[in-house]
Amino acid sequence: MTYAIEVKDLVKQFGDFQAVDHIDMKFETGKITALLGPNGAGKTTTISMILGLLKPTSGTIQVLGQPVGTKALRERVGAMMQDVKAPDGLRVDEVLQLFRSYYKKPLSLTQLLDISGLHGEAKRRAASLSGGQRRRLAFAQCLAGDPEMILLDEPTVGMDIEARGRFWDTIRAMAARGRTIILTTHDLEEADAVADYITMIAKGRVVAEGTPAALKAQTALRTISFHVQTIVTEAELLSLPGVEKVEITGARIRLHVQDTDRILAELLKTSWGVSDIDVSSAKLGDAFRILTQ
Amino acid sequence: MNMFIAQTKAESIRIIRSPFFMLFSILMPLGFYFLFASLNGSDMKVQSTTYAPFAMISMTAFSLIGTAMSQFGIRLSYERRDGWVRLLKLTPLTPSTWIGSKMVAHMIVHLLTIIVIFGAAGLVYSIDLTVIQWIVCGGWLWVGSLPFLAMGSLLGTMKNADAVIAIANILQMGLAILGGLWMPLHTLPTWMQNIGEWLPSYRYAHGAWNMLNGSGPAFLDVIILLVVGVVFMVLSGYILNRREAL
Repeated sequence: MTYAIEVKDLVKQFGDFQAVDHIDMKFETGKITALLGPNGAGKTTTISMILGLLKPTSGTIQVLGQPVGTKALRERVGAMMQDVKAPDGLRVDEVLQLFRSYYKKPLSLTQLLDISGLHGEAKRRAASLSGGQRRRLAFAQCLAGDPEMILLDEPTVGMDIEARGRFWDTIRAMAARGRTIILTTHDLEEADAVADYITMIAKGRVVAEGTPAALKAQTALRTISFHVQTIVTEAELLSLPGVEKVEITGARIRLHVQDTDRILAELLKTSWGVSDIDVSSAKLGDAFRILTQ
Repeated sequence: MNMFIAQTKAESIRIIRSPFFMLFSILMPLGFYFLFASLNGSDMKVQSTTYAPFAMISMTAFSLIGTAMSQFGIRLSYERRDGWVRLLKLTPLTPSTWIGSKMVAHMIVHLLTIIVIFGAAGLVYSIDLTVIQWIVCGGWLWVGSLPFLAMGSLLGTMKNADAVIAIANILQMGLAILGGLWMPLHTLPTWMQNIGEWLPSYRYAHGAWNMLNGSGPAFLDVIILLVVGVVFMVLSGYILNRREAL
């Protein structure tokens, strides 16, 4: 297994504020990895250091086997940051041609227009594009050099559903071609749906990492809900093995548990007249909330 | 090299397409030129020449100072604020190629501006200059615009882009009026003349005014422009390097 990025003991201090607090992480080559965390968790700071835009207070970062910030590396890495305005005075095709000129082996203009879906807007001024179109242009710009590794900071903010779909299709196709993709997001469903691997960070630390399925299994509780015939107290429910939380709505009870198989057996042994049982797997969101609290 | 040419082309296009450039660096200087020349009479005596060539120099100087301050200075500040500079840092484009191509783009646009204003003045009024005089006057104004690019680059280091606009406009107007570009310096109050003599804007135009009557720029013209250029370049370079180190 090879790693496109290896981050060791990374720290970034802004005055008294520790934005990144001794982070260790690795991003596997050819995979889509999501850096997931609430706002202010240190995602953008981490990405900025990986890109060489910010100097770490301490720690080391290796990107594609090299130290960050070299020109050779910028040839191989594409990045899309948040909140970049389009340059005034240039048309969409002119912006893309300009970015193509920076690289030795650029993608063709047609390919870039395909990726961004901006064929119809090619002759329009970049500054007159809508927010979503501008994001798509920024995405095409970061792919101009046909990079081996792509870093995306909150890529789909401002995109509509259709653009988002096309965007993720492109990302998946690139990963299939062996490109390494790292994206930051605070959108759990997005990370769950797209990423091969998720690194969750909160308050500048890595709080969990793994595949979306492993993260759910490892950290999240499952819920089991059912009807009862008799009156059952909360204390009785909490005394069952592995029950973390109880919600009672009339005759319907919902339990948050670690191990649903075990609790199911216990429930059937009781004399409460348990019926209409519904087991649901945890959502990544539950895991996320628990871990980042 | 390809990168440099593409970047220079893009930067030139951006300046020329800017409505502010069109208005403040072309239309306004030309408008005022013809207005003043018709009010004062194009053959009114000014120093040892007439108003038409004299004001042609003043208004070209005014135009180029404006382009250097706004299109270079204000734009640099805005590009930094809008994340454009950060974005370019992620590409193989080096900062020196970027700044270098911006300056080359400016020099291309400045040359075009000189041709347009000289051309318009020459077409409308019979300006009695030899071919050599046209060329050296234009050449002086062209090369002499470099110190103002250096001033622009210092403005461009400022973080508050909106403040840069205000400062650039005040500076540009102050330099133009006190430097005798709007009205000849000798028509201004003495205290203004005393300040004006030392301003790079006056020295900039003065060098070319001298050329109109066949003499060369004064020693002080060259020195003041050189000093201004070097000081502002070093200053903005120092500020940018210090910021990089953070």
